Amino acid sequence: MTATTSTDLTGPHWTPQDLLGGWTLRDFLFSNDYRIIAVKGILTALVMLALAGLFALTFRAELTVPDIQFFGARVYMGLMTVHGMLMVFGFVIPMVISVCYYLMPVVLKTERLHWAGAAQASYWTLILGALLLIVGRPDFTWTFYAPMSLRVGGDLVWMGYLAIVLVGVSEFLAGAVLLRNVLAWKNGWGSMPLLGWGMFSEALLLLLSTPMLALVGAILLTDWAGLTGIYDPAQGGSTTTFLWMFWFYGHPAVYLPLVPAIAIVYTLLPRFLGRPMWSRASGIIAFLLLAVLSFIVFHHHFQPSVTTHSWVQRAFQILTLAIFIPSTLHVFNWIATLWYDRIPASAHAAIPFRFTIGAIFFLILGGVTGFLNAQISVDTDFIHNTYWIPAHFHAMFLGFCAQMAVAGTYYLYPYFTGRMVNRALANTHFWLWQLGIFAKVMLMYALGYAYFPRWVVDYLPLPEWTGAQMGVTMAGAAIGLGFLIFAANLAISARWGAAAPEDPWARSDREPTMTAATAAPAE
Amino acid sequence: MQQALGLMGDQAIMIGITFAMGIAGIAGLFMALFWPRRWRLPYRVEIGFIVVLAGIVIYADRNSAQTFQAYEAGLETQQALSGQVAAGQEGAAFDRRIAVYAFQWGFLFFDEDGAASRNAVKVAPGAKVLFSIAANDVIHGFNIPAARMTTELEPGRVQSIWIQAPQAPGKYLIQCLNYCGLGHTQMKAWLVVGDDAPPAAQEHG
Repeated sequence: MTATTSTDLTGPHWTPQDLLGGWTLRDFLFSNDYRIIAVKGILTALVMLALAGLFALTFRAELTVPDIQFFGARVYMGLMTVHGMLMVFGFVIPMVISVCYYLMPVVLKTERLHWAGAAQASYWTLILGALLLIVGRPDFTWTFYAPMSLRVGGDLVWMGYLAIVLVGVSEFLAGAVLLRNVLAWKNGWGSMPLLGWGMFSEALLLLLSTPMLALVGAILLTDWAGLTGIYDPAQGGSTTTFLWMFWFYGHPAVYLPLVPAIAIVYTLLPRFLGRPMWSRASGIIAFLLLAVLSFIVFHHHFQPSVTTHSWVQRAFQILTLAIFIPSTLHVFNWIATLWYDRIPASAHAAIPFRFTIGAIFFLILGGVTGFLNAQISVDTDFIHNTYWIPAHFHAMFLGFCAQMAVAGTYYLYPYFTGRMVNRALANTHFWLWQLGIFAKVMLMYALGYAYFPRWVVDYLPLPEWTGAQMGVTMAGAAIGLGFLIFAANLAISARWGAAAPEDPWARSDREPTMTAATAAPAE
Repeated sequence: MQQALGLMGDQAIMIGITFAMGIAGIAGLFMALFWPRRWRLPYRVEIGFIVVLAGIVIYADRNSAQTFQAYEAGLETQQALSGQVAAGQEGAAFDRRIAVYAFQWGFLFFDEDGAASRNAVKVAPGAKVLFSIAANDVIHGFNIPAARMTTELEPGRVQSIWIQAPQAPGKYLIQCLNYCGLGHTQMKAWLVVGDDAPPAAQEHG
């Protein structure tokens, strides 16, 4: 199998082939073939998603109705912390990056993943971190605010701090790999595909922000061990120092899954529509502006703390509001691309395209509220640390980033299995997720508007809280069911799926049928 | 009900703008997908679009800053008068001045005479109340939904906020909004609004 040499971004990327069946366990664990590294990353991320989702459904069960039914705060916070950490660091960031590892060598014509050894090291470092988290079961939330994070957890809480350091190392290595591969593009910056610009921005975010995360993890470890007192006021340390250091990583961090997901949209749309993006320049400017702004807005995460002079706060407010411009430019570009010519019937029917559209929908739904979150006066009312914030980031992380990771996986699937997924099952997954995520996000916004606090295991039986909480639990169950169907579909189709045609995503004005797919020559 | 932050009007406009932008975006997406008519946007449309966005950004920044500065001016008035006029007296900026100590896990309120009460504080309807809040263990939050006010407390600092108490007598929730350890769920208190309010406020009203 060879990568196609098409210079056209709308052309097929590979020829479908059953690669998965040919890989031995040894290949799978240690091979530096970019497809193996990427597929391994995707499958591992799905395992993390399964675990983190199971944790979420477990603590969601507790939240369904007021009062304590199944377990108390310690178990709840352990589940919630590992849910957050595995979802962010174990699932969504690695999965979108893995999809990009698969796409880059062909789209950027490097034919292979440079520095694949570093990608391999990044993968195994993350696995070690995830194991430490699962064994250590810290209960200090994914933002681990000191000094709270120094005073909770059992004897194994050091595993949590060490896991934070390992996540930092793993993400830094991934950033180095991405930068190396972008620089391998030979034809000049002017003609570099938007995937390359996205990966360049992602590399900057990773390389510049993750050393700070590793440092914060290391300081937590030494503070906890009693060697230093940097974050603990009782030892002469400062929580303000913690907040500034952690969020210097923390804000670029929330764009770590966003930027590759955007880059996947820019790669899939031309492929399904058969035409270039409406404006390349606008995409490049938006990527760079988003990357630069992401480093200078982090103060909005703790703006009601008022330990900063008001004009500095004001500067952070206007910079945060300005984020609206590059992110809207991306969406504007996508809509303009969809609109400027006919949309082939094959695109409407294609599962990855449907997920891309669903993802754009949720990027709009989650993104517009950023406009409110940025404003200090509104933030000081009902936004800061109410359910409004998880509603916003679940729309972004799950609705957009995770759905683009799923779109990428469905897209790549025929290329590494030689088979097509079952369309009926994939459509069921699609609708369960759109409806489930929509219900969940909207109900969480409503809860936030009603001042429902974050991080609580129990709550008062207020009428504006109870119905919505039960609704979120049911929506979560629908999302979980969708995931089971997704996972079963990937597993079943690898063996029994219809053989993929020469170009599984060929454009036509007639919807592809099962018979057409089955009639295509099988390997 | 008059709010300390005076947000009702401004907030309604901002939420309206947010809804409008969200609906416009989603409508654009669906029209691009399903409306038969195709439309190639000239590039200059995007320039106009950026100008509109920048206008909205500047408007939001100004609006939010004005609202918040008006609120902060209320706090500064208090500081200027501090030590000269006791709370509740003629010419005082606030009817009540209450010191709060936030701890793992609860709130302790001290009134003007130093009398302490745990997890409940009583004020007169519509009273302007200044809370000076301190914490010294971990980062906590302090949120009164009925007064639409939130703050975040860093250990070792005193944070001052002011609110206007609701007019209707009743019990109003005060809650911690920052995860502060296993008892975070229990970290709540009540703002009790009643006519049999403490002496200071009664003298004033």
